[in-house]
Amino acid sequence: MELEKFRKRIFSSYTFLLVMWLASACGATGELTVQDAWARPAAAGDNSAVYLVIQNDTTSADALISVSTDVASTAEAHMSMLNDQGVVSMQMQEAVQIPAGDSLKFKPGGLHIMLVDLQQDLKVGDTFTLVLKFERAGEITMQIEVRDQ
Amino acid sequence: MRKKTFDDRFSIVSIALGIIILLAVGLINPFKLHDHLVEPPFLMEDFTLQAANGESFRLSDQEGKIVLLFFGYTNCADVCPTTLSTLKQVYQRLGENAQNVKFVMITVDPERDTPEKVAAYVTQFNSEFIGLSGSLADLEPIWKRLGIFVEKKNSDNVEGYLVSHTASVYVIDRSGIFIMTFPYETSALHMTNEIIQLLK
Repeated sequence: MELEKFRKRIFSSYTFLLVMWLASACGATGELTVQDAWARPAAAGDNSAVYLVIQNDTTSADALISVSTDVASTAEAHMSMLNDQGVVSMQMQEAVQIPAGDSLKFKPGGLHIMLVDLQQDLKVGDTFTLVLKFERAGEITMQIEVRDQ
Repeated sequence: MRKKTFDDRFSIVSIALGIIILLAVGLINPFKLHDHLVEPPFLMEDFTLQAANGESFRLSDQEGKIVLLFFGYTNCADVCPTTLSTLKQVYQRLGENAQNVKFVMITVDPERDTPEKVAAYVTQFNSEFIGLSGSLADLEPIWKRLGIFVEKKNSDNVEGYLVSHTASVYVIDRSGIFIMTFPYETSALHMTNEIIQLLK
């Protein structure tokens, strides 16, 4: 009889541990989100840049594969690079990788979304829609606020 | 092992005090001109470039003022606006001293940048900023004299090409002497402090 009780307790403990493990595992499988997005003010016909942070809380690596918006003819991911001679150059990025459980910051002087040939003025306080397409997470549509650096 | 004598201890304490005093002096008076001084500084050759509205800008007319020269282009979406935003902060931090400083952007893309276009671009940041353009024949000697790297890079997007370029800010002092550069990403506070020193 005592042995039976002991077995039940052991079984309950294992069940509890299994439930907890599953719960924590589910918690780790979060989402890919985009935060802190903003764009520089610029005039129609000029170019601008969008900066943001991509947080990949999933268990799989993902990649930003395209960007689109109605306010510019083209939107592309670019990387600004500074060499040791103080020269900057920009390189278009076909895809931007975001490792699992990691975040990636698009910031001035580094990665940014370049908005080419603005179709309208972007003034401080304006907002516009940007669609980011990821390999796994699909499309994320968000509102971007125009603000000074 | 020899025991430490009073003299030994006195020496250690003296050395420690010396180090502390040296550190304190460094912290109290940390200012020194930037590492990127031009060696040797040289008198900048005069030049004239086109400003907006048919006006021209001659360097020698600015004597008595510090001239901050930045080289960029109006299709630049990231680095140039970042530097201009920093210069905007420098202008604000300088307060009344800003009237003794000229903030000038010279294009590295004369093919697309008219004087009006450069002026419109820089005045988005501050109405006092000056934007200049000119012919390649006018611009190249200035780039060469200051060691400005300029290179077109083909791009598949609608704007056709990008331009790789030196991103430092070049400082011409009140006597027209090219004295120092501020490398890209120098903070507004640091630039302001150094400009104020140069104005003294």
